[in-house]
Amino acid sequence: MTRRDRIRTWGLGVWAGLTLLYLFIPVFIVVLFSFNDNKGRFNFTWQGFTLRHWNHPFADSDLAQALQNSVSIAVISTLIAVTLGTFMAMALVRYGFRGRSATDMFVFLPLATPEVVLGAALLALFLTLNVNTGFVTIVIAHVMFTISYVVVTIRARLEGMDRHIEEAAMDLGANEWTTFRKVTLPLIAPGVASAALLAAAISIDDYVITSFNAGQTQTFPLYIFGATRQGVPAEVNVLATILLIVVLGLMAVNVAIQRARSRREMRIAGVEPADIGRELAEATARG
Amino acid sequence: MLRLSLKRRRALLPYLYLAPGLAWLILFFLIPLANQANVSLQTGNPETGYSFAWHFATYTDAISEYHTQFLRSLLYAGIATVLCLIMAFPLAYFIAYKAGRYKNLLLLLVVLPFFVSYVLRTVSWQLILADDGWVADTLRSVGLLSSDGRLLATTPAVIAGITYNFLPFMALPLYVSLEKIDRRLLEAATDLYASRATAFRKVTLPLAIPGIFAGSLLTFIPASGDFINAALLGTPNQHMIGNVIQSKFLNILDYPTAAALSFLLMSMILIGIFLYARVLGARNLMESAG
Amino acid sequence: MTDPSVERALERLFLEGGVSRRRFLGRAGSAGLAAAGLSSVLAACGGVKGESANAPKGTPKPAAVNHPKTAIGQLTFSNWPLYIDKKVIKDFDKQYGGTTKYLEDINDNYEFFGKVRQQLTRGESIDRDIVTLTDFMAARWVRNGYVEPIDKKNVPNARNLVANLKSINYDPQRTYTLPWQSGGTGIGYNRKKTGRKIESVNDLFDPAFKGRVTMLQEPYDSACLVLCGMGIDPSTAKIDDILKAIDKIDQAKSSGQIRRFTGNDYATDLSKGNVWLAVAYSGDLVQLQADNPDLEFVFPKEGSMLFTDNMMMPKGVAHPYAAETMMNYVYEPEVAAKIAAYVNYITPVDGVQEVLAKTDPKLARNPLIFPDDAVRSRLKSYPALSPADERTMQDAMAKVTGG
Repeated sequence: MTRRDRIRTWGLGVWAGLTLLYLFIPVFIVVLFSFNDNKGRFNFTWQGFTLRHWNHPFADSDLAQALQNSVSIAVISTLIAVTLGTFMAMALVRYGFRGRSATDMFVFLPLATPEVVLGAALLALFLTLNVNTGFVTIVIAHVMFTISYVVVTIRARLEGMDRHIEEAAMDLGANEWTTFRKVTLPLIAPGVASAALLAAAISIDDYVITSFNAGQTQTFPLYIFGATRQGVPAEVNVLATILLIVVLGLMAVNVAIQRARSRREMRIAGVEPADIGRELAEATARG
Repeated sequence: MLRLSLKRRRALLPYLYLAPGLAWLILFFLIPLANQANVSLQTGNPETGYSFAWHFATYTDAISEYHTQFLRSLLYAGIATVLCLIMAFPLAYFIAYKAGRYKNLLLLLVVLPFFVSYVLRTVSWQLILADDGWVADTLRSVGLLSSDGRLLATTPAVIAGITYNFLPFMALPLYVSLEKIDRRLLEAATDLYASRATAFRKVTLPLAIPGIFAGSLLTFIPASGDFINAALLGTPNQHMIGNVIQSKFLNILDYPTAAALSFLLMSMILIGIFLYARVLGARNLMESAG
Repeated sequence: MTDPSVERALERLFLEGGVSRRRFLGRAGSAGLAAAGLSSVLAACGGVKGESANAPKGTPKPAAVNHPKTAIGQLTFSNWPLYIDKKVIKDFDKQYGGTTKYLEDINDNYEFFGKVRQQLTRGESIDRDIVTLTDFMAARWVRNGYVEPIDKKNVPNARNLVANLKSINYDPQRTYTLPWQSGGTGIGYNRKKTGRKIESVNDLFDPAFKGRVTMLQEPYDSACLVLCGMGIDPSTAKIDDILKAIDKIDQAKSSGQIRRFTGNDYATDLSKGNVWLAVAYSGDLVQLQADNPDLEFVFPKEGSMLFTDNMMMPKGVAHPYAAETMMNYVYEPEVAAKIAAYVNYITPVDGVQEVLAKTDPKLARNPLIFPDDAVRSRLKSYPALSPADERTMQDAMAKVTGG
């Protein structure tokens, strides 16, 4: 690896690091202020360090329930949206059919519709259908507006993707479903994972559409928006921090499992992990 | 299903793939939207009721009265999208090519700030960018900010807020598109061309176009309808069309105008997408692929 | 107005066609709601009957209200977040054997109304027994017949209501509403930054504070406060006066005097010193002062607004007796004291100051929570505007605030 390459890689790394830092600055503040020894109900002025908010973060059962609802809704709606959206993306990219361009444009529309109109219009539909608003309607709403994100993201993966491998698989006798499962899916996995992350993030943070369609169910963003009138309690910061830690922890576990699994597979194949590691490092340095 | 010939099955496949998602969107999006289209052409008020009247004047009035906010929204969203692209591209590139097994972790980190509620994130920025705060003081001492200038309640604050909140929507599609580029292609390009810059321009960039397209749309479209950044970080001179729609709908209870404004915004965006796709030579993205 | 022949035809259809009215109209039930049912059908076709058409004719007079005693089972109480000491709910449940569902789902008057509006206009139940809404929104609900009258026999503690709130312009006999908490809309300011005491509404327009002033977006608060400064009593003001006030605000905005218009988010600006004067709520300043002693609140000498969040029972309430028992419970001075100690707004219940003097004397002396009589006499309520005037006001203010 040439020196210029090293500098380039280093520069890229610094930029990436700075951008991530930029993304996280407010998060650091939120975490920091969970330790703020505030006297009043507002949490803007640093008064000193305390652990008291961390003693009973789940004391307010309504707040805890709101967080739980948000997480459940995010998981469920992401699963549904990613499934529906992946298939839609495949149809739109790989097949020519009547009404394709129209459907293409149609998929962008939910993104373009202002949330207040979307939320209220959906509520009107539920009322006309006599459906009680609550957990289920929130999930329905979240799936509805995250499908577009999923489709657009996975399309970026599918576009121009080499289909030869899949065609080869089918020539060898695999049916569509097996081909999809064993060939296509692994190939688009990064797109699916990214789409899932996006959908989950949008769902867990949504306010306007949720507020119209939540009925009597409380979600984390709804609670926080409402709490701003009286001052968001530091326990909210605590819960947000806990959520971050849990999610990061799950991801760390995932990374560790993947690493252990790949090591095991390589050992079974009779390859030394160290060699692969070095080869990969050189390859990425070159790439 | 199995009894159908292979050819028949293949022909049905796209519709099968499309059906569930499309059904969901038609039921929970298109029908409510159609109802709103209906509302936009109604006249009336909450006391005397509304009636359908083909009242297109609502649309023309809306344009003449709020064209400033429309243009402003498109402008802010456009600038934010460009800024997002500049910031997110190197990040996405790094994750795609240099991050190795930590790819997924870094992707998660990009999205993780969303798990901390919007309100908390924006309040944090208000604290950081306070007039007497550390950031403002530093900028003043360096001369980038006038002595009585401020960071909050300004246009840059609103655009910065939009950029910040939509960065992941640009980064992730970019990553998705970059990651799939075959590394050997890049190697070959480096061998062929004199400099890596040329290789980047001639190989990487064109292959990343789907990602740039997707990321730009996922950023620009929702950003143009955003209202919360302008509300919290701006003055009335920064208010966007989203703010107008919000107040028309909730406070003034002028549902026809709110609906009309929404449709006008959507039309502008659709036209914009169409033009953008052309510019990127991505028309082939819309029509049948090879 | 509903065409009676159409209404009769619909009734015949229901009786003969085997379609139960209940199923067709959803949760509707009473006689006047065939009209609402018709309007829901029309809504789907593109025309909606207005609110006044749906207001039930012959709203029962207070004396005729009778909510017989029932078991206190489940009671659904919708309120603003952090507006009660949750222990009070637990104590209520223990004392009366109830299972109260306390929802903190009111974040904003307009948003909440936007959420339940369609059910209200169709005469359907909104599945809540008590909602707590600010005066101007409560006025709208009362005006449109969205609320049930209170059976005063079940709320004897209502006699503890403070004198200045016993009557209000939109509900002169408190037939439908009972105050929950009050607050003042005045001026919060940073004593150190302003360099002097602030006493007048017109200090907001002092050029020395250019660019350091924020006002509330809500015209009921901002425009009416400015009216006080112009020497006009907001509670009896007409729309023309209000528009003059909004004009004055507009000029201040154009000249750069007003930095921006806020919802509840003025607190960060004030706290950090970005803003030196803010049209603010008294309860917020009680909290902000704890962390930043430079901050003060003033009820301006020309007058300021007293807003009240009111408990009301929506039309078609399922558990009126339980709701009234809850209302009665929170009007016991000891209970009201617990709430006041937690919420730190102005309690509408007499006798709370004495109770708190024993347990928390500092709180009992706080002039923002227990303003003295001189201040109280200067507090004005919101004007009772007709719907059209209200919309004119909101429209005019929206043009100024950019929304």
